[in-house]
Amino acid sequence: MLNTRDLEQRWLRYKIKSYIPHFIIFTSIIVISVIILTFFNSDKKYAGKLLQKINKTQIEAKTDKIVITNTPKVTLLEDDTKVKSTNYKETPVISSKIQENKPSNLGDDSLKLAPSLDFMKSMQHSTLPYYKEEPVIQQEKALVISEEVQELEPIEDIQPEVVTEEEVKRITIKRRDASNDIRDIIKRFKKNNNPALSLFVAKKYYELEEYHKAYNYALITNQINRDIDASWIIFAKSLVKLKQRDMAIKTLNKYLKSSHSSSAKILRDEIISGKFK
Amino acid sequence: MSSSIYINSKDVFLDTVNSKDYIQLDRVSTIYQALKDSIKKPLKMILLYGKPGTGKSMFLTKLYNDLSSSQKVHIYRTPILDESEFYKTLAQDIFTTKYNGELNFTQFMKIVNNISLDSIPVVLLDEAQLYSDILMEKIRLLSDTRTIKFVITLHKTEKEDLIAKEHFQTRIWESIELENASTTELKTYIQKKLMKANCFDTANMFTNKSVHKIFKLTNGNYRDTNKLLYTLFDIYTAYDENHQLSSIGTTHIPNKLIEMSAIHTGLIDA
Repeated sequence: MLNTRDLEQRWLRYKIKSYIPHFIIFTSIIVISVIILTFFNSDKKYAGKLLQKINKTQIEAKTDKIVITNTPKVTLLEDDTKVKSTNYKETPVISSKIQENKPSNLGDDSLKLAPSLDFMKSMQHSTLPYYKEEPVIQQEKALVISEEVQELEPIEDIQPEVVTEEEVKRITIKRRDASNDIRDIIKRFKKNNNPALSLFVAKKYYELEEYHKAYNYALITNQINRDIDASWIIFAKSLVKLKQRDMAIKTLNKYLKSSHSSSAKILRDEIISGKFK
Repeated sequence: MSSSIYINSKDVFLDTVNSKDYIQLDRVSTIYQALKDSIKKPLKMILLYGKPGTGKSMFLTKLYNDLSSSQKVHIYRTPILDESEFYKTLAQDIFTTKYNGELNFTQFMKIVNNISLDSIPVVLLDEAQLYSDILMEKIRLLSDTRTIKFVITLHKTEKEDLIAKEHFQTRIWESIELENASTTELKTYIQKKLMKANCFDTANMFTNKSVHKIFKLTNGNYRDTNKLLYTLFDIYTAYDENHQLSSIGTTHIPNKLIEMSAIHTGLIDA
């Protein structure tokens, strides 16, 4: 007779053994599916974050459009408009319009749109540091400009006034320009002793009817370079203007002996004939 | 159910080759009829082959029982490996000539030629793969004389296909292959076998599910099925004797018991 107990035990062992591969497959499937799910979830979260970031940037870029369309999101720009109101007079009008469309509850996401104002702020303040970085010479120019603006402001205000007055104002500006230019060129001349610069200064002083200074700079130029035709002419002209007519003719004669300059010759003849006074 | 029904059912599946136990299945009947027709034809040699346990020996036994009443048939279930012994046995059985001493092929051929028979005798050789190549050559020569008709059976194993061998290929005039049973054939086989022994209750216990389980374990092999079912009813007998029959039930064969039988017979390596 068969030993059924022993056979049952063997059968039980066989059953357990036969279920082991199924159990392994089942658990491995569960583990793999859990891993896949977590992986996809993390991917979705990351994608969601990315989308949020993209949406943010897109909304920021379209802030102007949002204001025009008057969508509920426009209310978020209230902060923007408030910032703007500190600088612009028009902002109160916009803000009032926005307040009309403002919804009862504001979401957190909408508040995140506030950084769009930074762009505007940066735009507003961007001009100042640019000029601060300019070199010392340019600072002087900036000062000149500011002076010009100060002087021009009243001109704009008095637009209906007579044209002659405007011309007078313009002349004063030119003078200031010339004097500043002369100062600058004198500085440069002192550094390098370039006769072209001293001649320029002489010419400028002659134009400004400061004949004594013109005479001096023309003399300095002649001492540096005796062959500059224009320098001798300014020298002679300044002498005539300083009531030294004979001295001027004598100087020109001496110069003509060495140079045969036609312009010097014409000037001498004009002085002699009395055309140039 | 009384314990005797399980004992009777167990005995049904004893691995014996008895033509009375032959179960008439549709496919098997067709094959058997084809074999009977082939024997009537003037063919020299007929081959019956198949995997072990497909019923070759049973087929041959059945054929012997059926033909023996109408014609001279001799069956040799175990191979006679000695050549002289083989000739001497044939000389005595077919030609009723007792020969003392060594009998070689030439001497045997003299006997065959000297004695004329009314009809051609049929010699059924089981397990023919065990015969030597030389003896198989002599059997071929004998069949060529048309004085003796041979029906041989041999295993067709996956390791070695003997039918593919040249000496078999050239001499075989008709070959019939026997195969394992299908699930439905197996159910019919089991139930018919039990009903033949008046075990109707146990025959009804075999549902499609249990037969399918048996088929999975035996692959439809008749010998394995017989072994498995013999053990199955042995287990039933043991449970019955231990008064534990209620724990396993008697309405159908549970898979647990089939698996236990398979473990015991070695069909399951547990």
